[in-house]
Amino acid sequence: MSWFRRALNILRSNRHSSDLDREIAFHLSERIDELVAAGMTLGDARAEARRRFGNVGAQKERTRDVDVLGWLDSIVDDLRYAIRALAHSPAFALVAILSLALGIGANTAIFTLVNAVMLRALPVSHPEELVQITLGADGGTFTNPLWEQVRDRQNVFAGALAYSSYTRFNLVGGGEARLATGSMVSGDYFHVLGVRPAVGRLISVEDDKRGCAPVAVLSYAFWQTAYGSDESIVGKTIALESHPFLVVGVAESGFTGLDVGRGAQVFAPICSDLVLSGSNATLDARSNWWLSVLARVKPGGTLIQAQAGVNAIAPGAFEATVPQHWAVDQQSRYRHTTFGVEPASKGLSAVRSQYRLALMTLMVIVGLVLLIACANVANLLLARAAARQRELAIRVALGAARSRLIRQLLTESLLLSISAAGLGLLFARWGSRLLVAVLSPTSTPIYLDLGLDGRVLGFSIAVAVLTGLAFGLAPAWRAARVHPNAALKANARGVVEGHGRVSLGTMLVVAQISISLTLVVGAGLLLGTFRKLSTIDPGFRTDDVLLVSLNRRPTAKGDDRPQPYAEILRRARAIPGVASASLSGATPLGNSSWNEDMLIDGFTASSERDGLAYFNAVSDGYFHTLTTPMLSGRDFNAGDRLGSPPVAIVNETMAKHFWRTPNVIGRMFRYKAGQRTAGPFEIVGVVKDAKYQTLRERTLPTAFVPSAQDSTPGNQMSLELRVAGPTASVVQDVKALLHDVDPGTSLTTIPFATQVENSLTRERSLATLSAFFGGLALLLATMGLYGVMSYRVARRRNEIGIRMALGAGERRVARMVLGEVSVVVCLGLVLGAALALAMTRLLMVFLFEMGPTDLATFVGSMALLGIVAVLAAYFPAHRASRVDPMEALRED
Amino acid sequence: MPKPKNDILQGTLALLVLKSLAARGAMHGYAITTHIQKVSAELLRVEEGSLYPAMHRMEQEGWVRAEWGTTDKNRQARFYALTAKGRKQLVHEEESWARLTEGVRRVLRYA
Repeated sequence: MSWFRRALNILRSNRHSSDLDREIAFHLSERIDELVAAGMTLGDARAEARRRFGNVGAQKERTRDVDVLGWLDSIVDDLRYAIRALAHSPAFALVAILSLALGIGANTAIFTLVNAVMLRALPVSHPEELVQITLGADGGTFTNPLWEQVRDRQNVFAGALAYSSYTRFNLVGGGEARLATGSMVSGDYFHVLGVRPAVGRLISVEDDKRGCAPVAVLSYAFWQTAYGSDESIVGKTIALESHPFLVVGVAESGFTGLDVGRGAQVFAPICSDLVLSGSNATLDARSNWWLSVLARVKPGGTLIQAQAGVNAIAPGAFEATVPQHWAVDQQSRYRHTTFGVEPASKGLSAVRSQYRLALMTLMVIVGLVLLIACANVANLLLARAAARQRELAIRVALGAARSRLIRQLLTESLLLSISAAGLGLLFARWGSRLLVAVLSPTSTPIYLDLGLDGRVLGFSIAVAVLTGLAFGLAPAWRAARVHPNAALKANARGVVEGHGRVSLGTMLVVAQISISLTLVVGAGLLLGTFRKLSTIDPGFRTDDVLLVSLNRRPTAKGDDRPQPYAEILRRARAIPGVASASLSGATPLGNSSWNEDMLIDGFTASSERDGLAYFNAVSDGYFHTLTTPMLSGRDFNAGDRLGSPPVAIVNETMAKHFWRTPNVIGRMFRYKAGQRTAGPFEIVGVVKDAKYQTLRERTLPTAFVPSAQDSTPGNQMSLELRVAGPTASVVQDVKALLHDVDPGTSLTTIPFATQVENSLTRERSLATLSAFFGGLALLLATMGLYGVMSYRVARRRNEIGIRMALGAGERRVARMVLGEVSVVVCLGLVLGAALALAMTRLLMVFLFEMGPTDLATFVGSMALLGIVAVLAAYFPAHRASRVDPMEALRED
Repeated sequence: MPKPKNDILQGTLALLVLKSLAARGAMHGYAITTHIQKVSAELLRVEEGSLYPAMHRMEQEGWVRAEWGTTDKNRQARFYALTAKGRKQLVHEEESWARLTEGVRRVLRYA
């Protein structure tokens, strides 16, 4: 039988089955004629003809299976039947599709992120050939001299490239900074990646020679948003850090650099660092690690060959770039460093390592929510199958094969889940954007390509099919096992839903309760962590403090005028509304740190880490502005200036760690500075502990040195202003004063409270999302419980009627129903607690000052779930107590 | 339900139908059953229920062609006629039937 004919048959099947009906009708009437002619009555003849013909329905089914390659045809039929059946009960269809769509949508949204962050290959040609060259176990970044060695010595790769990850370009000279994410790239960066220009040309090897003219390439997205896709921008100059850069072109659409999640907007050649940082050029610095190095393996080449290739060039490359000012043992360790080679088809990403665990956790959470939604729909289907059992019994009696019935019911389930997936994809499209917004800190927005690709589509289809089978299989199996005899009896109940006391529906509700308890406990733990972190005493007060980060234009060679910081601070203190002001090199939780190896008499470090202290250079008034209490000694003052003996203030932890006593006024310390030492510093004050890098950290030993004693302060400092009243006018005044004192300086302002909040982005977003999904799970489980109890009460009206007729009071009936509920709920809670104990271990890394088995959280969650469950059961119980015995008994 | 002894051996129905159509020309399903019964002197009885699936299968295979027509009692009936392909199939089936019966005969005689 040809395929073509089979295909035709599907189209013809309608006509075909009516052909068959007519043919059978003809046959029967001929037989009846014959039997009547032989002397039978018409009625007997009819019966006899039918008996002889056998099972008409089964014949039809069998004939039809011959007609077409059975399933293909019957799928079209099943689908038509399913649509008709669902159209008959639109409320059921709507509830089922919506709850599944929420579940599938949530899963697809999270998966879209997982895909964008972890699975999607870079939009470059042959991304699978890309590898990252690393420095053994020491991490991934290179110095420029080391990169140049690799570039010039390597011969195993088809090409190699280097780029900087954390570059930001200020697009305006002076005033409020407008920052663009940037990347300094090597000359053949675009060539090696196979990225083409959309407009103009890209950076080439010629652009990346020492002493190069400053040129820039824009990313397509940035060109669209910032320059309105204006092609005439090519050939014009833009200001990067106040230096003119010639725009030579725009990269092809979709390409935003190699750091997934960061989205570079402006590319400039590495050599232009000379222009950007003037005398402080990092190009020849041998201990300034800022470049990531990628290479393209030759076609057919292997990682092993690549590794052998880099091994061969390593000794020469490291020998030629030894940092001269390092200690001898450090230098020798440097010489023996090796290169590593790792696949890099998906690019490099700080976002990836930061969010991998969080995304995986969310994936598990939404998976569990989907399971609960499935259980709900399964329960709906069970109730529906019970209502339809007569219809199914009739079809079985007429010869429908059971496998056919199961298939038909499954078609219905799949139709539901696939429609839900379609709707879910829509939810996911804005859901994933919303998620990125929730997950990104306001200061460094995450940029991700959230486009729908085959993988996301495949994922949601797979999820839809799996959920369709998950919630449809059990009810379909149950329903198709109906025995026609039993089911056709006028009042045969309990065939589909099972005979036992514990029905499938009840088991599903138990499962729902236990899964939602797990989610509620998880949400409780994450919320608790977030609450702890946001109410912790960080050692400073953030309210009413405004942080202004100053970014001075690099001083030209020969300009040795003193930095104007003292003047800026003096004038800032005079601004109306500023209660106190100070300067510092770093701000707490501000993503920058400075640490040194301490040299202290009477202290021997047990490890490298043990001898480390963290530093900050601050002006007088810093502790007062941030409200960090001074425990003993004095603050810095005007006497601590260039040339006076170096002094320092330390925190409690530092005093206890290095001197084992809080009374350290007058003690001295020094620290290693390359081959020499810095200091000695005399301790003049002790302050209370405060957080330095993160709120989670165990307080670090911290030393503060006066910024006024620093002979070479950097170009970047922060101003802390404690403001009484509105901040807007203060910001205006700061801008005006900078314009007066130091016109080239740009600034960004952020409330201190916001900076602290930003450091909790991951914790907040996890807590928010898990609370949302926990709530959703609770809602779905409650709906499930309510549905099952209502259904059971409705089915048992008869029994309840008899009980009441025999004298059971309303209260007693209500108690009976509630008692049943409590058995179900308790069982769910016990199983849920066990499940939660097993699952919350996964959350360990996220938790702060609480264990994954936190008793209060467990008890609280169980209580919450119990209360909600009893509320959900109240209505069915109430309804049961209102059954009118007379009416209930009359019904059957 | 115990099967009547004279049920047609699985796989021979096609042979009987093709032979009947070759002998008598186009017939409807009912006529085919009565024809086989009559010619076999009531020894064989077509199980009516399995006739139509078999007819449709043969139609799919292209051995028979079906057409709606009117009987002498003025009823609509589907008439089946042999195709060229069906004729070939008949020859083929007759041969294999002959082989089968010869085989059975030998076994009965010599075993």
